[in-house]
Amino acid sequence: MAARPHDPAARSRLIGTLTALVVLWPLFQAAEVRPGALFDPANLKVIGNFLGGFLPPETGREFLGYLGTATLETLAIATAGMALAFCLAVPLGYLASGAARERPTLNPLTRGLLTILRGIPELVWALVFVRVFGLGPAAGVLALGLTYGGMLAKVYAEILESVDPAPAQALRRSGAGRPLAILYGLLPQASKELASYTVYRWECAIRASVVMGFVGAGGLGQLMDQAMKMLNGGEAASILLTFMMLVLAADALSGLLRKGLDTPPAPRATPFGWRSALLALALPLAILASFRGLNIDFTALFSTDAARSIGEFLGGFFPPDLSAEWLRKVGKGLWETLAISIVGTLLAAVAGLLLALPRPHAPFGVLLNALRSVPELVWATITALAVGLGPFAGALALALHTTGVLGRLYAEALDNTPPTPARALKLAGAPAGLPFLYGTLPAALPQLIAYTLYRWEMNIRMAAILGFVGAGGLGQLLYFELSLFHYAQASTVIAAMLLLSIAVDQASAWLRRRLG
Amino acid sequence: MSFVLDGVGLTHANGFVALEGIALRAERGERIALIGPSGAGKTTLLSLLGTAVRPTAGSASVLDFGLFSGSTATIAQTAPSRALRARIGTVHQSPPIPGRQRVVTAVLAGRLGRWPAWKGLLSLIYPQDIAGAQAALARLDLADKCFERCDRLSGGQLQRVGIARVLYQQPDLMLADEPVSALDPALAQSTVRLLAADAEARGATLVASLHAVDLALANFPRIVGIKNGRIAFDRPAAKVDDALLHDLYASEGQDLPMLANATRFAPAANPNPAANDAASRAACC
Repeated sequence: MAARPHDPAARSRLIGTLTALVVLWPLFQAAEVRPGALFDPANLKVIGNFLGGFLPPETGREFLGYLGTATLETLAIATAGMALAFCLAVPLGYLASGAARERPTLNPLTRGLLTILRGIPELVWALVFVRVFGLGPAAGVLALGLTYGGMLAKVYAEILESVDPAPAQALRRSGAGRPLAILYGLLPQASKELASYTVYRWECAIRASVVMGFVGAGGLGQLMDQAMKMLNGGEAASILLTFMMLVLAADALSGLLRKGLDTPPAPRATPFGWRSALLALALPLAILASFRGLNIDFTALFSTDAARSIGEFLGGFFPPDLSAEWLRKVGKGLWETLAISIVGTLLAAVAGLLLALPRPHAPFGVLLNALRSVPELVWATITALAVGLGPFAGALALALHTTGVLGRLYAEALDNTPPTPARALKLAGAPAGLPFLYGTLPAALPQLIAYTLYRWEMNIRMAAILGFVGAGGLGQLLYFELSLFHYAQASTVIAAMLLLSIAVDQASAWLRRRLG
Repeated sequence: MSFVLDGVGLTHANGFVALEGIALRAERGERIALIGPSGAGKTTLLSLLGTAVRPTAGSASVLDFGLFSGSTATIAQTAPSRALRARIGTVHQSPPIPGRQRVVTAVLAGRLGRWPAWKGLLSLIYPQDIAGAQAALARLDLADKCFERCDRLSGGQLQRVGIARVLYQQPDLMLADEPVSALDPALAQSTVRLLAADAEARGATLVASLHAVDLALANFPRIVGIKNGRIAFDRPAAKVDDALLHDLYASEGQDLPMLANATRFAPAANPNPAANDAASRAACC
């Protein structure tokens, strides 16, 4: 043998690693990653005092009263917002979907509307509505309704397109109209997925309505905002515990509802039993109670006065400020947002994997659930105390929440990986850890990467609004300009957010096609 | 002495008796074929020799290391048993290799038990013994696949990669569980011959379970027939006659399983139904 054999893949691996480093370096710079800030004595003192105040959590009678009201308000905002979103999503999804059509159409008008509705984060809608309708839950409900309406409509349309089209086509050819062809031909195939997704979204809506309080749309978020501004650790601890319980309860309820979807219908003339009856009673009652409890004056919302003030307000957004100087600033904000999302997701991927590895899961599962149940924006208020305002606080906040989400998903994926390769290596005497690296990780990696990319997509959108609490990026610009009533500048930032969201959509669809 | 089983039995937690009253011993360098109808306990016997399961009755020692019977079914990995395990190599029926791993890495993994841990880690970044892997693969006519990914190989090629891994490991005790089930008759013949020749050249012990009786008789000096978890017969290949075989396979019909009519199967893919649900979950909020 003349030359020493060498690995043909080594060169491309080396180049790949170097490229990743070269790309990541400026991103870490832009996110202003300074681990030292975590140990800065001044910061340590602030966060130490704050966290020290956590114990004991505030349990004063008066405060608990506020907390209860705020919790109910949060639940009501989520439920009312979802009801609104559903009413919006059914007709829009029907119009946008190509399902059960004789010839496929692209529906540029409806699809464009949906893109705008869900492309602008709900928090931005809420911020805008608060300016129009004043502080209070009405802004939150409307914001949720619009964004989630857009999301639900898009997903409904896609689910209907993804099932077998033959039954609906056959019905149409025998003379049924499109709505009936969908009801008889597609809905039976798609109903479980549609219902399951709607329940998931309601769970998400609870988290979102917590967050919207930070811009003055009521609920737990508003209470948290006040506690943070006064650096009241005890109150913050009580609110955080309430978050966790609320999210876990919503998790459990949504799991229960989705399990109910698996039970086969009874063999009766009408397939509806006592469970369906209970649901049919509880759902309208919950929605009605939510709207009543929130005390939203819809006549005021849809009066000519309101219409005029909306018109005037929206008029202020046009034309957007497109001066070179402002565009440069927005461009920098975009770059910072991207950097926050990438750094946050990377940190979370590493931490999540480390927490997903140990067996048994139990003690780490609790930690992951705790991390996951606190929304990013709430984490950001805390990390901003720990490292000061700026993008690093945002990246850390994203990392904390995402660690919880990814850790749980990673653990699930690793549990589902075929165990035989690792076991065979263990039986061949491989030292601890290596059976995992040689046997389990290669099989699980595609799934882990897919999860991470999904989350990164979410995190880009989230990074755009973390700035509302001072954690850098586009959000900080928007919050600042809106509070100075600089609507032309704000409108440029909103447009940038919309573009970012569309770009992420396209990029992730492309990536998924390539990976799938 | 390569291994000694004395009155060994294995009863699963659910009460199923997989093995009962097994007495079997092998000198260093012996080559033994296990034959018998499916479900007879061949695979269980091989896992027992491979220290994957622990006998629930009797006493056993493998490579002069005692495996005491006990109530727990698996053996905790401890330092002495790791050293022992590095000396035992197993060819599995469906190769335990992740699809996305490269062939070279899959083969080198055979020596993880002998290498220090740092070398195993380093080998993930740059393969530490490419020449060795290539030599093992060349013996199975797979030298050109060295840097392919395993999911690009056919079922038969993948099974031979699994064999190359064990050849590379150079164990003192080679165990093979239906090692050629995914190969065509000609390749099966030459591959079994290769395993036998390798064991003979290195003075290693080889125990293989085989579905095809002719393959066993042609390549192994000693044949052990297994039926219902017990040893039906244990004699030199020359003394195994048709009557004995028909008695062994009585439950499987008139024909003896031969290489020519062997049923081949490819390892089943492992679809993951939970993945979609979880993915939609990840996309949520």
